[in-house]
Amino acid sequence: MIGLAKKIPLLDFYIERLRAEPGYFGDWEVPMRYTSAIEEHVAVRSSVAFFDVSHMGRIALRGPDVVSFIQYIYTKDLSKVKEWSMSGPTLALTELARVKDDEMLYKISEEEWLLVPNALARERMLEYFRKVISEKGFRVEVSDLTEKYSMLAIQGPRSAELMESLGAKWAGDLKLLEFRLNEEIAGAKLYLVSRSGWTGEDGFEVWGDHGEVKKLVETLISRGVKAAGLIARDTLRIEMGFVLGGHEYGEDPVKFPCAVSLRYGMGAISWDKKGFVGEDALRACRREGARWIRVGLRMGKEAGRLFPREGSGVYVEDVYVGWITSSCYSPVLNRGVAMAYIDTRYAILGEEVEVDIRGKKYTAKIVDFPFIKK
Amino acid sequence: MKNWVNTMSFIEVKAKGKTYLVAKDRRYTETDEWALRESSGLIRMGITDYAQKELKDIVAVELPQVGRVVKKGEELGVIDSVKATSSYYAPVSGKVVSINRELEKSPELVNKDPYGAGWIVVIEPLDPREYESLLTPEQYAEKISKR
Repeated sequence: MIGLAKKIPLLDFYIERLRAEPGYFGDWEVPMRYTSAIEEHVAVRSSVAFFDVSHMGRIALRGPDVVSFIQYIYTKDLSKVKEWSMSGPTLALTELARVKDDEMLYKISEEEWLLVPNALARERMLEYFRKVISEKGFRVEVSDLTEKYSMLAIQGPRSAELMESLGAKWAGDLKLLEFRLNEEIAGAKLYLVSRSGWTGEDGFEVWGDHGEVKKLVETLISRGVKAAGLIARDTLRIEMGFVLGGHEYGEDPVKFPCAVSLRYGMGAISWDKKGFVGEDALRACRREGARWIRVGLRMGKEAGRLFPREGSGVYVEDVYVGWITSSCYSPVLNRGVAMAYIDTRYAILGEEVEVDIRGKKYTAKIVDFPFIKK
Repeated sequence: MKNWVNTMSFIEVKAKGKTYLVAKDRRYTETDEWALRESSGLIRMGITDYAQKELKDIVAVELPQVGRVVKKGEELGVIDSVKATSSYYAPVSGKVVSINRELEKSPELVNKDPYGAGWIVVIEPLDPREYESLLTPEQYAEKISKR
């Protein structure tokens, strides 16, 4: 994959201007870190920082059947979404109720929507959409905008104040998950500005032509706004208990349990909705009861800042009861934290389990998400 | 043209848009450890400025048992950063006679002062000649300048 990796459009600029350390994520070369992932993480939690997230997919759907198409693909009821508003995250399932991708949808009008698939799912989802459209005869036109626009996420408790200081006087009044089209901020012409993000903090996401986004980045740098890379983005999402494809979910029915076990929350599944892909299997999982459940594990004091690696086991009285799906050091808690699937019979909040770190057992506590108080 | 400069106690190597310091009073391994022969003959070791800058965000340093006998190149322990783990290796064969317990509380010392307070292990060498076979500061500087 690495040989075929594409650079996000502004990567060389970040390396030159901000000494970004590049790295690979899926088939993209992206900024992994600028100064220190811990500092970047803390900047997002306590102030504001920006991420270039142009590796994320962006797809437009147009046509008279868009609503029936997305109602067929996703688990959430999308029939009552307001115009200029986002809905999600929601899930696209396989027939076996495994998760293809978790996505946000943006409604411009009844017949025009945008959606943001994960970087690793973009090609797969495009292919899947085209197949469903041709097989079922939906009148929907799919276009891939991913490489047309760069995308920034400006995240942190001071993000609204920052946006207003850049001339977007309306920013503070934009409600969570609302968006605006064709705005100009500090001389940069942007296609879309939404109040959203994936860090657990207040924030905005903007899409625009690469040159315009570069202009905005120059302004952010001149205002002293810190740049943050993908490592910090990962530790931020883990602290919030947000899932990531390939870690907490995937299409493989052997490797990943059914979507019920994911315990996604946030209204991602509308149980009163009928007729979506994977519904029968999903309801069967629900009827039979989940064997596995996704929980948070917070490492005990003896572990210092250590955390168990992805794929390693979780034990109770030496019985294997589950496995780790994501983990990191939490800069806010100053502890290791992890997400794990564990056997529901052992999934007792507040109880202790043991995890293996390089052959040594350490105690961790089963906790709910998010790991940090918000 | 060499892309490094000599100062009093360090060679400054410019590579990948960054400056890396190579202390001139010690020897180096291909795997980015430094080794310093003290007047007692004991070998103090740690990881280089280059290595700590690559790892950054160090959150834990796993230390070996005092008394452990190691071969040159054998894994001594691991260093955890926010998301990743890497190993560090014995620069010479010998016995571990001292470990830097400060790192248990403050692993960030490796980031802050890799050649000083961030030392990791002291080894009593089996064969004093092994030290001489390690990379000189100039050889190590040349190596990292080409990475």
